[in-house]
Amino acid sequence: MSAPAAVPYDPVRAAEARARAPRRRWPFRPGVLLAAAFLMLVCAAAAFPGLLGHAPDQVDPAAALRGPGGAHPFGTDELGRDVLARIVYGARPSLLVGAGSTLLAGLAGAVWGLAGALGGRVVGEAAMRVADVLLAFPAILMALLVVAVLGPGTRNAVLAITVALAPGFARVVRVQALVVRDSAYVRAAVNLGLSPARVLVRHIVPNVVAPLLILATVNIGTAIIAGASLSFLGLGPQPPDPEWGSMLAQARDYLDVSWTLALFPGAAITLTVMSATIAGRALQARYEGRGGG
Amino acid sequence: MSLSDETVTTFDDRPAPRRRGLRSRRRFAVVAALLVIAVVAAVLVVSARGGDDRPARAAGAGPVAGGTLTYAVAGTQVSLDPAVAATAVTGLIDRNVFDSLITQTGPDTFGPWLASKWEVSADGRTYTFTLRQGVTFHDGTPFTADAVKATLDHVVDPATKSAYAASLIAPYKESRVVNDHVVEVTLARPFTPFLQALSVPYLGIQSPAALAKPVADYRPVGTGPFSFVSWEKDKRVTLRKNPGYASPPAGAAHRGAPYLDDLVFEFVGEDATRYGALTSGQAQGIAGVPPVNAARLKSLPGFSFATQETPGLNYNLYLNQTRGPLRDVRVRRALSASINVDELVKNIYFGLFPAARNPLSRTTADYDAAAEGDFASYDPQEAKRLLDEAGWTKTDENGYRVKDGKTLTLVWPYWAEGNKEQRDVLAQGVQAQAKLVGIKIERPTVDTGAFVSKYLIGGAYDLVDVSFARPTPDVLRFAFASGNTYAKAGGNVALVKSPEIDKWVEEAAETLDPATAARDYSSVQREVLRQAYVVPLYTPVQLTAFSAKVRGVAFDAQTYPVFYDAWLGA
Amino acid sequence: MPTLARRLSRRLALTLIAMWGAATLAFAGMRLVPGDPARVIAGGVQANATPQVLDAIRDQYGLREPVLVQYGVFLGRLLRGDLGESYQLNQSVSGVILDQLGPTVALAAGASALGFSLAVGAALLTAGRPGPRVVSRALEFGSISTPNFWIGILLLAAFSFRLHWFPVIGDGGLSALVLPWVALALPIAGVLAQVTREGLERALGQPFALTARARGATEHRVRLRHALRHAALPVLTLSGWALGELLAGAVVVETVFARQGLGHVVVAAVRGRDFPVVTGVVVLSALTFSLVNTALDLLYRLVDPRMRQAAL
Repeated sequence: MSAPAAVPYDPVRAAEARARAPRRRWPFRPGVLLAAAFLMLVCAAAAFPGLLGHAPDQVDPAAALRGPGGAHPFGTDELGRDVLARIVYGARPSLLVGAGSTLLAGLAGAVWGLAGALGGRVVGEAAMRVADVLLAFPAILMALLVVAVLGPGTRNAVLAITVALAPGFARVVRVQALVVRDSAYVRAAVNLGLSPARVLVRHIVPNVVAPLLILATVNIGTAIIAGASLSFLGLGPQPPDPEWGSMLAQARDYLDVSWTLALFPGAAITLTVMSATIAGRALQARYEGRGGG
Repeated sequence: MSLSDETVTTFDDRPAPRRRGLRSRRRFAVVAALLVIAVVAAVLVVSARGGDDRPARAAGAGPVAGGTLTYAVAGTQVSLDPAVAATAVTGLIDRNVFDSLITQTGPDTFGPWLASKWEVSADGRTYTFTLRQGVTFHDGTPFTADAVKATLDHVVDPATKSAYAASLIAPYKESRVVNDHVVEVTLARPFTPFLQALSVPYLGIQSPAALAKPVADYRPVGTGPFSFVSWEKDKRVTLRKNPGYASPPAGAAHRGAPYLDDLVFEFVGEDATRYGALTSGQAQGIAGVPPVNAARLKSLPGFSFATQETPGLNYNLYLNQTRGPLRDVRVRRALSASINVDELVKNIYFGLFPAARNPLSRTTADYDAAAEGDFASYDPQEAKRLLDEAGWTKTDENGYRVKDGKTLTLVWPYWAEGNKEQRDVLAQGVQAQAKLVGIKIERPTVDTGAFVSKYLIGGAYDLVDVSFARPTPDVLRFAFASGNTYAKAGGNVALVKSPEIDKWVEEAAETLDPATAARDYSSVQREVLRQAYVVPLYTPVQLTAFSAKVRGVAFDAQTYPVFYDAWLGA
Repeated sequence: MPTLARRLSRRLALTLIAMWGAATLAFAGMRLVPGDPARVIAGGVQANATPQVLDAIRDQYGLREPVLVQYGVFLGRLLRGDLGESYQLNQSVSGVILDQLGPTVALAAGASALGFSLAVGAALLTAGRPGPRVVSRALEFGSISTPNFWIGILLLAAFSFRLHWFPVIGDGGLSALVLPWVALALPIAGVLAQVTREGLERALGQPFALTARARGATEHRVRLRHALRHAALPVLTLSGWALGELLAGAVVVETVFARQGLGHVVVAAVRGRDFPVVTGVVVLSALTFSLVNTALDLLYRLVDPRMRQAAL
């Protein structure tokens, strides 16, 4: 094994150099471009699934479990439905559960965290202790408990993941809000006699929103996986509505006969999660870059 | 803003691992995407290669005594008393512990078992049974006419809380012990399904000594080929050979004691796990082979595979004719005509389950094949015409029919826990095909409590799907007589209220003339199809598989495997 | 160390509150369900329970008492460690958990061992080496972004259904555990590898690494003997997180591979609204999760002296 060059390798410095570089350049590199393009595709599918022309629930039992090719580029499922159409139509519930729960968790987390930071001793303490309690659970168990109470379904899956994610967001917001609150800038504003509400809206909220947005974007991938897991377990969107996770659950029964059935929905989830994560990190890098420069 | 912006990067103290270490995104995003494709391609290549199969096992010679047979079944049981529990598993297990008075040998024929012969009085209300002699229960007490009386009285005793067994012999009035080996049973009215009822395990003859014990100490004690050893709740029931067995039913392949030493029933709910238990050798036989695995299992040497069509009511979709749009027979027939049952069933069940065109399965006595002429079979044009005629002429933006501003919507509750045999998939097919003619079917997922109280009893449904196996046409009474609603422990979930049907099923149950009964049952089959109270879907088939070592397993009229003649080869 | 004692008692109090919260939520759920719990307990549809049977069940489970009384009884039982009877399995909840714990622990333990080995191996081999680093990062990123049920399904399709190397299902033996281990380990390994490599790279850049090299230590030795130790701390920090991921992953992976286990039981219980089982499993995992995190917290406070002053 050969030793590295005479100058010792300094990964920290190297990482810093890499991290610095994008700030000065147009930040969209090929990977990010690809990710953005794929995300746009998924969003387009979620917004206008009908553009494809195929219906996701049109059955043709005689053409069931065909492999990819011909009129069905991704093949057909156990009822002869077009898998491509089902994946396109499945984009909406999948994104809805992933992005919707992140959004809700972000909003709830913001209010919660601000209450924790600015709510005074009693409210603040209570808010954060509740968050601590919720964080003592593995998120999926929290989500399962919520589904057990509310029953399965798209809306309830969104709520379940929201409940699981919100306390994490609340913590971040609180830390951030505390820092801003104690900053000289805000103290000065308070000393100048600005009303607390005005300080909150003009100074604290804007400084909390940005990191929250970044955290949310980076977390969308996690939320999409959590949502797909719930619906894989049969606890999310209910059939016959197509959803990527539940499509995989159905496909599991047919692995012996048609394993490609399991290929495309899984690829859709994975690529979406990757793209969302890449895009989130790109945003994060830009934002942090602005702060440093 | 610079002050706060700097601090923005100090995130939470909790690790957010998915965020870490990804700051070099120069190439890896592209590489990652390519890698997914590469992995997928590798799997494709790998999967293109075929697999090897296990070696075949050579067959041996004649029956050998000894050994333990483990049979894995889905479901579990609530009680060991066949008079109390109505589940199929209880019947399957208790069949080996209890002998019945008579045995069913064909769709409508019966042979001697514990009763060597019987006579029916001219008015059809008195049955006289002459009993086999020299038979003893597992507890050593002799089998006499008292046991028959004790068993039947036990079944109808309200304290027993028997729902199913008691309903089988509803007209039972009393038993009279003529002497040790002759018993006379009197019915309140003529009731021809009585003989069939006596042949099922739920009315197996029990030891009076065992029945006299308190309920908490109940142990099943019969005269059957195997005696009860233990019941580990939700795991297994173990039975042991009855060496003194001397009362096999007519049609058994041998006399004397059974070949197997021990018979174990394992409760394995998960389809795939049960299948795996067989292929891995943990069980020598399983019930309920998943249809998707059946083709593969058939191709594997070392296993035998048996299919038994279930007699009784098919897996049917019942249309609640008391509610909403389905009050109109044209809408019911339109729904029936919108579903391509043949094609759906053939493809979903890989040809293993026959598509049904009659509520009664074709292996049931008095099944009338000609009744399918009244079935509104697949014809989407006809379905659309009927809907137009019924006034559902407009359509909304999704293509669903509208009348007086209301969409043609039917509620079909989905009880996920009761789902089996991929019925959820079949339902999605039905849903999609109904949509093509403009009928919207909603399937709310419901848990058990809600399914029973809100839907089955509350009546808030338009469609309900169910199958019911029992080898007698009397099941038509169970399913369509107006008094047999679910709330009254019956199966009339279409809530049919037809004086004609009531008359037919009652008459058929009472008449001693087989031709009259056949005509009545045929009328019922035609009428329920003409009125489209029911859309037949498929005949459930018992897919049973055994290791090739297991020989001599027979199937009774209820399609349960019978282990008396079974033995284990090399 | 008064701060340590205080922190410890604080964490234990939090654990208790978390368990109480979970139990309360589950109890509320039990009462919110629209259907009649007595029917669920009776076995639902097939049993077609008579009113007398339902009444007996209502008496036995105290379903007729006022809600607050039921809640009190419920909490009292929990305090005594009595998790109640499953509605559907005809078995006590603690019995169910004891029965199912073994398979889940075998799955989780094997997967964590595999995950940690993969992560440390990958990190050792690729830290500070630009070429392998990119490949490894892409792999890690891929495994983090892939839901483990998809990994499991692809593994099943390839290695069980096509190649017959591993059994499709079954609880028998180690060979049935290999694919579930891999499916469960990969996403965790991805994260751990990233963190370990970062730690290694940071350590390799520190003066002690230079000193070691100057003393003639091979690169191998520098990495294994010196740098790895320094990278261990952040990995330790992540162990708590990994435990959560293992629990979550077990739920899904047991379903994919139709394995027995707690995850499988809890999913069935959620579907069937078997609240005693849901409550039992959730309370137990909250306890395990909190205790392990507390232990880890203590552990790296002891390992790293800097942390001792930093008590929050």
